Amino acid sequence: MNDSRELILGRIRERLGRSEANAPAAGAVIDATLAARAPGPRPPAEVAPQSLLAAFRARSEALASTVDEVATLADVPRAIAAYLAERQLAPRAVCVPDLAGLDWRGAGIEVEARAAVDRDLVGITGCFRAIAETGTLMLCSGPASPATVSLLPETHIAVATAPTIIAGMEEAWAAARAVFGQLPRSVNFISGPSRTGDIEQTIVLGAHGPYRVHIVIVRG
Amino acid sequence: MRVALFVTCLVDLMRPRIGFAAIRLLEAAGCEVIVPESQTCCGQPAFNSGDRAAAAMLAKKVVAEFEAHEYVVAPSGSCADQIRNEYPGLLADDPDWHDRAVALASRVFELTDFLVNVARIDKLPSDFTGTLTYHDSCTGLRSLGIKSQPRQLLDRLPGVTVREMSGAEECCGFGGTFSVKFGEISAAIAERKCDNIRSVGADAVVGGDLGCLLNIEGKLRRMGDETPVLHIAEVLAGSR
Amino acid sequence: MEIKSMHFKARAAAQLANAGLQANLKKVKGKFVDKRRDAIADFCAQGGDFEALREAGEDLRDRVLADLDLWLEKFEANATARGATVLWAKDGAEACRLIVDIAKQHDVKKATKSKSMLSEEAGLNQALEAAGIQPVETDLGEYILQINDNEAPSHIIAPVVHKSKEEIADLFARVHKKPRLTDIGEMTREAREVLRSHFLSADMGISGGNFLVAETGSVALVTNEGNGRMVTTVPKVHVVITGIEKVIPTLEDLSLMLRLLIRSATGQPISNYVSLLTGTKGEGDFDGPEHLYYVLVDNGRSNLLAGEFNAMLRCIRCGACMNHCPVYQAVGGHAYGWVYPGPMGSVLTPLFTGMKNALDLPHAATLCNQCGVVCPVKIPLPELLRKLREKQVEKNLRPLGERLALKAWAWVAARPALYHLGTRFAVRYLKWLAGGKQSIPVLGVAPEWTVGRDFPAPQGKTFRELYAQAKKS
Repeated sequence: MNDSRELILGRIRERLGRSEANAPAAGAVIDATLAARAPGPRPPAEVAPQSLLAAFRARSEALASTVDEVATLADVPRAIAAYLAERQLAPRAVCVPDLAGLDWRGAGIEVEARAAVDRDLVGITGCFRAIAETGTLMLCSGPASPATVSLLPETHIAVATAPTIIAGMEEAWAAARAVFGQLPRSVNFISGPSRTGDIEQTIVLGAHGPYRVHIVIVRG
Repeated sequence: MRVALFVTCLVDLMRPRIGFAAIRLLEAAGCEVIVPESQTCCGQPAFNSGDRAAAAMLAKKVVAEFEAHEYVVAPSGSCADQIRNEYPGLLADDPDWHDRAVALASRVFELTDFLVNVARIDKLPSDFTGTLTYHDSCTGLRSLGIKSQPRQLLDRLPGVTVREMSGAEECCGFGGTFSVKFGEISAAIAERKCDNIRSVGADAVVGGDLGCLLNIEGKLRRMGDETPVLHIAEVLAGSR
Repeated sequence: MEIKSMHFKARAAAQLANAGLQANLKKVKGKFVDKRRDAIADFCAQGGDFEALREAGEDLRDRVLADLDLWLEKFEANATARGATVLWAKDGAEACRLIVDIAKQHDVKKATKSKSMLSEEAGLNQALEAAGIQPVETDLGEYILQINDNEAPSHIIAPVVHKSKEEIADLFARVHKKPRLTDIGEMTREAREVLRSHFLSADMGISGGNFLVAETGSVALVTNEGNGRMVTTVPKVHVVITGIEKVIPTLEDLSLMLRLLIRSATGQPISNYVSLLTGTKGEGDFDGPEHLYYVLVDNGRSNLLAGEFNAMLRCIRCGACMNHCPVYQAVGGHAYGWVYPGPMGSVLTPLFTGMKNALDLPHAATLCNQCGVVCPVKIPLPELLRKLREKQVEKNLRPLGERLALKAWAWVAARPALYHLGTRFAVRYLKWLAGGKQSIPVLGVAPEWTVGRDFPAPQGKTFRELYAQAKKS
């Protein structure tokens, strides 16, 4: 805490006419606002699981992600192996510890479960929630899901199970509060490969993060 | 319907025929037109230059001159907006004048808006023919919602086709005193507008505010382009 | 940053005369406007109501500003509870001092930065360099400017919008000492490789903050490139430098503001990365900073609170006002002479740096309101510009000639007989000047008008004269 804190807050209070008399009422408004968590206007939310999946898929493809669907979690390694082969990418990846238990070796992929480093070319992550409104992946960092895996490699592959697909960000917040209590250090909403339009407003994929985002949806 | 015409200072000075065209149109719509003789300017140049005192003085003058009339119509969205939407705030410090400004405000209209939505004009006294492109002036468009009214009226002229230019709603760069304070920038913006006008290839460009029209005409002529620049009232009332 | 806004007119003239810049501005002009329009159309096709969103955004920002002290305290308490250190800076100089101290305390040699306009306000890069700390801008646009001798940005979200690919290709070849590339994709890859090594070797990351969420004590960062994630994930220290007005109450409010901000800024439904960062590296975490600092900067903001210019504090820095401004489109951002260009800059610059330092800016607008109708939080920018003009008049800051001319004109306009005499004379003079032609090419009484266009000749008599004649006959 430094001297300017009181100076700045003092100036603000003076401008706002804050007094001991009106502070409690204002404080009550603050608390009520925080308790209410009132959502703003939003597009009508998809609810049916099938339409959520379809909307999520269409929106993420519109953001230059690619999407695959498999029946069960056990099918994921083979689907990813096929994706890597098709893109002529080496069958080697770093994955979040959350997904270490899948049979990667059986699918012919050499996978290490850890945080990513610069030389990793493929990163495989899970996904806390997937947002249909915008085709966005919501990743939460933690010991079993380091943030670097979706950031440093040139290819990011995310595994999302169908029940995690929700309508909008509001449902994502509700889920995060319910599951974590307090927010994880980083919540990253990822919507397609990293991009820049800084040179002549021409969109280029792969600015500092991944060039490709591939999403494998597990229907079961 | 008794209508007082607010001529506007630019029409008075530069293009009286627009004032006469407005009278002709209002009469064709069945209105009795009065032209209060002592009128000068709505005070917008002072208002937009930050001289509130001068603007308020002229606002009071306009309110006093026009408040007795059933309707006030101006062949300019910009001047109509000044009286309709800015006077009440400008005179807010003086309760009596504020109330008078508010009482007047709702009876003030831009010409095409009045013809379409209030007078509901039936027959237009025009046999104008040709292809026109319409420039939407900023204040009329964004403060008074003047967009469909002039087009609806032009559509009723059998010999007239409206061809939309790209960026019809973009500013022409006039901006009142801006045009003489920042002449170079103003002319550069006008050039873009004129490029859009020229590429649409119409027989004439039409608008509802003389300030914009003088700016566009001046730029077109400097570019060596003789495309006629007309006020909507001239087209709706006149012939060619 | 040094203030050059008092030279707006001369700077604008130079930009207008710069053919290369004009070509670049023309090329990008439509892109922002079209993308925003398409994104809003798409949102409406989804069943969304963008106007309702704007109203909710305006209301939310106003509610926060009305209790800003309490919201800041709430944010501070929740951020601190998660292990962050919240510091306060009354101005840019203090912000620089605090950040240099943090860097020294953690023995920082190199700091990677994601884009922050406040750091431009404060001149943070210069302060870091002076203290022997290497700042590396990592937003591609900001990076290009930094390696071009610390050139100033010309746009708040597209900082090198004024530069062509060719100019950047030359710059890269010179600075990177590599063969000249001309493909934008390849150029981007080259910059990525250069910056990747900086990301991995920096000891400190500095970011701005799009929003501060009071409920959770978090900062939200919106980027497309992923550099915002890099600077907040890899280094051991993360410093957020942001304005005191950026706080919003809840996560739900963040969803609302993101729907508004991103469509208004880049015309995307959502940016590639929205990161919500809360506290420091946790127990068992592989990554994330061990130390997190917030530097909340006032620098003139509190003076606007609850006053005539309060609405300006709603601003969420999307850049839509400049993208849609005819003046900005004509002269580009550098003409404005400080950190913020376009309509929002013309309001903020005189308010933050002093009226006298930016006399031209409030007048450098046609008041067309293209800015006001696109502003996501409905800031009445033309009205604020006009209020600033009023302040200049009140403080006698306008040139004497202009003041006298206005007074004289208004005095005459209030006297109909005199006015009509004057106008009769004026139209005859102008008609005589035109000499039978339809246009006057040089007008002595308003020389600015005829710099770039003719002055149309008047009809010849005033309406009032002709109307009186017609009535008589």
